[in-house]
Amino acid sequence: MTCLSKNEEGPELLAGYLARALDPAQMAEMDRHFAECSACRGFLSVWERLDDFSAPEVSPGFDARLYARIAAEEARRTWWRRLLWRPAVPLVAAAALVAMALFIYTPGQRPGRPEVSLPVNIEQVAQAVDDLDLLVSLDR
Amino acid sequence: MEAVAALERDAQLMLRVREGDDTSFALLLEGHRGPVVHFLYRMVQNQAVSEELAQEVFLRVYRSRATYEPTAKFTTWLFRIATHVALNSIRDRKKEKGHESLDEEMLDGMARQVADRQHTVEQEMVREAKLREVRQAIETLPAKQRAAVLMHKYEGLDYAQIAGVLSCSESAVKSLLFRAYESLRVRLAHMA
Repeated sequence: MTCLSKNEEGPELLAGYLARALDPAQMAEMDRHFAECSACRGFLSVWERLDDFSAPEVSPGFDARLYARIAAEEARRTWWRRLLWRPAVPLVAAAALVAMALFIYTPGQRPGRPEVSLPVNIEQVAQAVDDLDLLVSLDR
Repeated sequence: MEAVAALERDAQLMLRVREGDDTSFALLLEGHRGPVVHFLYRMVQNQAVSEELAQEVFLRVYRSRATYEPTAKFTTWLFRIATHVALNSIRDRKKEKGHESLDEEMLDGMARQVADRQHTVEQEMVREAKLREVRQAIETLPAKQRAAVLMHKYEGLDYAQIAGVLSCSESAVKSLLFRAYESLRVRLAHMA
């Protein structure tokens, strides 16, 4: 077999060998190879050494701390949502009213309504002035 | 087959979490708390930091519940978050690492002294020295190689899953693992 140190499948073969998960023929072949190859025995030794590196138990309060953080985060989110949404509704309503008022009282800037210049009828203007004079004289 | 069934179950649980079922989140936490904390402990080699990071991992899982889609195996997704958190922490804590390792070694040593009274002092010292060398050998690996070795050796993830976690090809994972085990073999050769 190819030496584990020259074979990219080495880690997988080694893991399979140690888990006794390879087929019997492969297991026997690996046994023979380990017996004659010191470099591969080195891999075997590394794997065993790594077994010594145990991890400590998770502390008992782990879940409680996590749930407390989740609860705090949820509460913060709700608070922000309230803070953002409560004043937002009247603000949006006020902004809409202002926009509508501007639209109505600035006829020159209304979109889609171009100013139309009508021809001036001099006789109509003169008639209007005469009518005004008449009204003024009646007032007196 | 058993593993596949377990992974499918986890994805289903996460989908239930998405629907607002907090009991399913508790089940996921129960099943993955240990592996995630242990992986992070071996990555950063400090118990307090590893638990803090694990809390961050599960918080991110919970935060992502609304957008969760089972596109990858749950374990792959979970370890992707854990690896990301660990690599960020390693990068951020590089400067203060010396002090932390020393503190951790002292605490670990004390804990083991209490736990393993059946060992003689001499046996214990030899064991301590060997363990320190193993830890240092792992610590000197580049962070990505370290993550790959820890997932492969201790968490039982296969090449495809590790590739999913590290967002690289399976052949890149093989290469990473090969280089990592070769470095460890050379570094720990005198212990054989």
